[in-house]
Amino acid sequence: MSGRAAVLVFPGTNSEDETLRMLHAVGVDAELVHWSRGESLPEYDAYVLPGGFAYEDRIRAGAIPAHDRMLDHVIDGAQRGKLVLGICNGAQILLEAGLVPGTGEVRRPTAAFTRNAQRHFVSKHVHVRLAVDPTRSPFTALLEKNVLIPAWASHGEGRLAASDEHLREITGGAHVAFTYEGGAPNGAALDCAALVNKPGNVLAIMPHPERDGWNFNHPGHADGADPLAPSGGAIFFGGFAAALK
Amino acid sequence: MPAVNLRPDEIERIRTALGREPSTVELHAFDAQWSEHCSYKSSRHFLKRLPVTGENVVVGVGQDAGIVHLGTHDGERYGIVIAHESHNHPSQVVPFEGAATGVGGIVRDVLCMGAEVIGLADALRFGDTSDPRSLQSSIAEGIVEGVAAYGNAIGVPNIAGDAYALPGFDDNCLVNVIAMGIVKESEIINSYAPRGSAGWDLVLVGKATDPSGFGGASFSSVALDADDAEANKGAVQVPDPFLKNVLMRASYRVFAYLRENNVTAGFKDLGAGGIMGCSAEICSAGGYGAIIDLDDVNVAVEGMPPEVIAVGETQERLIWVLPPHVTADVLRIYNEEFTLPEIARHACAVVIGCVSNDKRYVLRHGRDIVMDVDIDFLTGTIRDELPYDRPSTTLRYARDDTKGTLRYARDDTKGTLRYARDDTKGTLPYARDDKGGDSAAGGGENLSSRASGAKRPESRDDSPHWERYDTSVRGCTVLARNVAEAGVLAPIPGSRLGVALAVAGDPTITDAYAAGEFAVREAVRKVRSVGARPIALTDCLNFGNPNNPEHLGQLVAAIDGLAAAATELGLPFVSGNVSLYNADASGNAIPPSPIVACVGVIDDVAMVVGGPSTSLRYAGDDKGGAR
Repeated sequence: MSGRAAVLVFPGTNSEDETLRMLHAVGVDAELVHWSRGESLPEYDAYVLPGGFAYEDRIRAGAIPAHDRMLDHVIDGAQRGKLVLGICNGAQILLEAGLVPGTGEVRRPTAAFTRNAQRHFVSKHVHVRLAVDPTRSPFTALLEKNVLIPAWASHGEGRLAASDEHLREITGGAHVAFTYEGGAPNGAALDCAALVNKPGNVLAIMPHPERDGWNFNHPGHADGADPLAPSGGAIFFGGFAAALK
Repeated sequence: MPAVNLRPDEIERIRTALGREPSTVELHAFDAQWSEHCSYKSSRHFLKRLPVTGENVVVGVGQDAGIVHLGTHDGERYGIVIAHESHNHPSQVVPFEGAATGVGGIVRDVLCMGAEVIGLADALRFGDTSDPRSLQSSIAEGIVEGVAAYGNAIGVPNIAGDAYALPGFDDNCLVNVIAMGIVKESEIINSYAPRGSAGWDLVLVGKATDPSGFGGASFSSVALDADDAEANKGAVQVPDPFLKNVLMRASYRVFAYLRENNVTAGFKDLGAGGIMGCSAEICSAGGYGAIIDLDDVNVAVEGMPPEVIAVGETQERLIWVLPPHVTADVLRIYNEEFTLPEIARHACAVVIGCVSNDKRYVLRHGRDIVMDVDIDFLTGTIRDELPYDRPSTTLRYARDDTKGTLRYARDDTKGTLRYARDDTKGTLPYARDDKGGDSAAGGGENLSSRASGAKRPESRDDSPHWERYDTSVRGCTVLARNVAEAGVLAPIPGSRLGVALAVAGDPTITDAYAAGEFAVREAVRKVRSVGARPIALTDCLNFGNPNNPEHLGQLVAAIDGLAAAATELGLPFVSGNVSLYNADASGNAIPPSPIVACVGVIDDVAMVVGGPSTSLRYAGDDKGGAR
């Protein structure tokens, strides 16, 4: 696997610039692809779906964009083994598209990132812990076992919910890639912060590692550290970058 | 159809100037343009007392937003764009929409300077929210949700602000919003028709014009009347943050296009007075007139009367003044690349008229000319010819100079504290919205004891309201909302330059002069407490009825307080807003509410003071902050 990544921009996406900046910083050849030129998506080797409110979160977060033409290309690519990363709203879209946990049919989700337990938007700095063996997915391949990654949880609909049966599938298949350290800020089942599909090429993470991507972003960053050097959030993207080299 | 609020002498002035009866469209146009909201007719000459100049000022008061010099990176000079506004009456009537459109409006003011919008702040004043089932509690809930919904959706972090709840705001809440942007100083776009622009296109961009927000400017310039509550709802605009998200990104693309092609243009937000207010101001400010064909406006419903198309305050719209050779490309960016017509029904960019040489403001509708007036008479005359000078003896604001120490302290001894917070009842729903209480840094009062025991009844959980605001989007956040006393951003990728923003104002200070002085000093102190160097101020003056000498006296006293503190500190006001007619049902003014925002510069974000894990350099630790 090598090549270029597309950062998808739907109407309502709002985190495309910082996501692109982070990808460039870790050495990914990436560019933005707006919805009006979605037909170019097959040319790319990997897809990143950034945060925001694609199609205004109508019906529920991720529901409409999961049926967008751009997702036809993403689903096709995912099935052919291309790497697909969704962050926040991107994660909601991948779940609605059925790509994660991937235990059901395409576009027939078996779980949901739904309204937070508080029933409103929550903006909080969090740490997420790697909950699978690093070899589970190319995204996690370079991470240390049980590593903690800093990120910002910023969402109104991030609580993983599923039937008991589907939760058992998620647990049994080691689909929970990251858990919230110290408990989920949104009441998510299994303290789940990120889901990965069975082959490991699609990962959906609710909090934003790219927003703690530089030392200056990190709350209470250490004295003397170069503020412009990558911080913990950048580490999250290392596996993705290496896989595309 | 809302009535106009023009006074008989104002209508007579219009008759005389026109030499005929004004048309319906003209009456509504003057009603909006001569409202307090647009003309600052009651406050304008007092505002001259504020310091507005300084070496850092790039664009001072007068345009849609002020700009101050931030610093240089890679040989480019960068400016911080800042604007500050209120949306008080709309938020009282329709809280969610009122607050959301407040954010939307201030964002457009920053955007239209050619800037990328990088940060938000909000100062909220609620009524007594101790009863979670009260109207005041539901208003507070709606306002917080409105600020959150809009800012979060457009992807601009909220990094500073405060909130108070006091019975004095029961009938008239306050929603003050501040937006900040960044722009290369060589790429600033002005809110006026550029030199030599006669014959250029006027391009309307955004949401289809609908009947919402008709009479908004005039509505915000009279006292709220409970009996009119239902009728007033029609004067409140409808927010569309989804469309705005796309409009902002499309406009950034247009900025880049204009840069690449070395084109100078004018760009202005549609606020009060709608298409008429915006197009008249952008053209008259450049020394031109305008001819607009209302039939070319993209409308949401057919058959709207011309005055509604012309003056209605539909949200999410801006006007470009463009040289005709680039118009087609700009329309293509909005309509095809960013597919505005698919984002919202009938939204688009469309040519609606042109800049004219003759200083007339002309509106056509069908076969008729429905408005034809001298453009400067429309946009300027009221300010010069209808001064609201009053004998100063009627201004009952006696600053208590005998007690020099009272400046910042709440004056509990005077017995005049109709609005004083009753601490024993715990009526403050939100602990004061910053770490000032914890750190007890110098300058202001330590409010933590007052706030202790406070309930948050309007929340369905115990989390503070600001946790609903996205404070990290854009990935530039150094100090997020409520981490320290000021928010800090590193707005230029690859640069160590930081910008700090803080908001202050204490409605429990009943002496308006002291309140004004305190707001300046407290905002400045907050910015200093994170290690930043204050460079500029903005203000919003929220006061009562200017026709009441006592209320006007409070406004003037507050301005004097702001001016005294800012002058002493050597800081200019670069943007501001006045909101009058804030009063309760019996006509009593709200507590004096001068609210100030301060912008500061940090040359190296490594030197920021604040953040949870640096115990030695905790927020408000002035030993670390002094540099």
